[in-house]
Amino acid sequence: MLEKLMNIDRRIVFILVALAVIIPTLLPVSMPISVSEPTQKLYDYIEAIPAGGTLMLAFDYGPASLAELNPMARAILKQCFEKDVRVIALTLYAVGTTMGSTLIQEVVAETGAVDGEDYVFLGYRPGYELVILGMGKEIASVFDTDFNGKPLSEIPLMQNVTNYDQIDLLVDLSAGSLTEYWITYANVQFNQQIAAGVTGVIISQMYPYLQTGQLVGLIPGIAGAAEYERLIDAPAKGTLWINIESFVHLLIIGLVVIGNIAFFVHRGREE
Amino acid sequence: MRRQVPLIFCFVFGIVMILTQFIPHSSSQSLYQEVIGWALIITPFALILSSLTLIQTHLTRIRRRVEHWQYSIFVFVGILGMVVIGIPFGPQNPVFEWLFNNIQVPMDATMFSLLAFFIASAAYRAFRARTFEASLLLITALLVMLGNVPVGDTIWNSLLSWLPWDNGTSHMKQWILDNPNLSARRGIILGVSLGAISQSIRILLGIERSYLGGGD
Repeated sequence: MLEKLMNIDRRIVFILVALAVIIPTLLPVSMPISVSEPTQKLYDYIEAIPAGGTLMLAFDYGPASLAELNPMARAILKQCFEKDVRVIALTLYAVGTTMGSTLIQEVVAETGAVDGEDYVFLGYRPGYELVILGMGKEIASVFDTDFNGKPLSEIPLMQNVTNYDQIDLLVDLSAGSLTEYWITYANVQFNQQIAAGVTGVIISQMYPYLQTGQLVGLIPGIAGAAEYERLIDAPAKGTLWINIESFVHLLIIGLVVIGNIAFFVHRGREE
Repeated sequence: MRRQVPLIFCFVFGIVMILTQFIPHSSSQSLYQEVIGWALIITPFALILSSLTLIQTHLTRIRRRVEHWQYSIFVFVGILGMVVIGIPFGPQNPVFEWLFNNIQVPMDATMFSLLAFFIASAAYRAFRARTFEASLLLITALLVMLGNVPVGDTIWNSLLSWLPWDNGTSHMKQWILDNPNLSARRGIILGVSLGAISQSIRILLGIERSYLGGGD
């Protein structure tokens, strides 16, 4: 029996994980979500941007991370459009182009934001740090047109925006180390205020930058997305998914505890 | 000569770019911007080069009929499908968008989602409190996992409501991230940065040449 508990067939573990996802998806539960300090800081920072201010949003992720980062992007866009904060969106990640474009269109359909006035999507340019550095001098020197091919000089939103000096906050939604590129090149060299939304696996990497103030706020993983949805009072997929994730975490904790109890009993008997 | 020219370019441009960071004069800054402009133009060629390398690698796999060579055919189907629509019509094209949103997104997301299953299985097998250090790691991991989901605080507030503070698991998770994690991460960042500086100096001086290929 102990041997069996210590070596449960991995296919059984897989089935249990699948059930821990499927059952709460079919029978949604809602648990209270407490807001962490880094998420609150980002929300407060955007709230403090005056109407007509400008936020730059970088979609630096691909489909593998959309479950965690799309809810964040959606929540931030909604907050900005409701507050009349203009959004300049872009991506340093090739596959982020269509994802960013699709997501913006979805939020625009809900909020009625106007292309070129409330937001502009610049698309993708290769060369991470070079794009960041180039925009420090002039955004138009890197992105001469928006994603639809319209020259920046013809876009009303861009009339008074030349470089980072006119950007109130840059929010990088990233599934990798690109946030560190933004910090190194945009924050350190151009003093651009930066916040980030990142996937669960790189949350811990971001904490030194929060403490130094190089990040003004942070949305940590899907939990952070749910917290942000609570802050803007618009529960959506982030809230749904964090509740589902609760059950998977409980399952893993349960399996680890069972495995360890069996391990200690087994070791005690051997001794 | 084939090796000396790139080494000279690397040294000259590397030193010049470092110097521009310490010379605030307008001519230095305009040189810096000029080089950034050149680099922005050169970078897309790396994409072409990487695409050609990918094609070459998979052609070789098909030609030599190596194990699982059939999968390489799908690489070409994918590349051709996206390129034939993407290059002439652009990524805004509805067919391109449809292919991306309905093929690439679900496949990529599915591959990543599989991690949940393997992580659960691996955590169950590997997280054993065999030593003091392993026990410390185990307890920390469980606390962060519990603090990262709302069920942690729900359990805490239900079972430990007699304690003077609410949402205990979130607070413990936050403390772990703010203190031990931050300290360790800062040490890692300092170590990596010193390593990057030393590696950069080796590359500029031509001591480290592996980026030229050939392995020497």
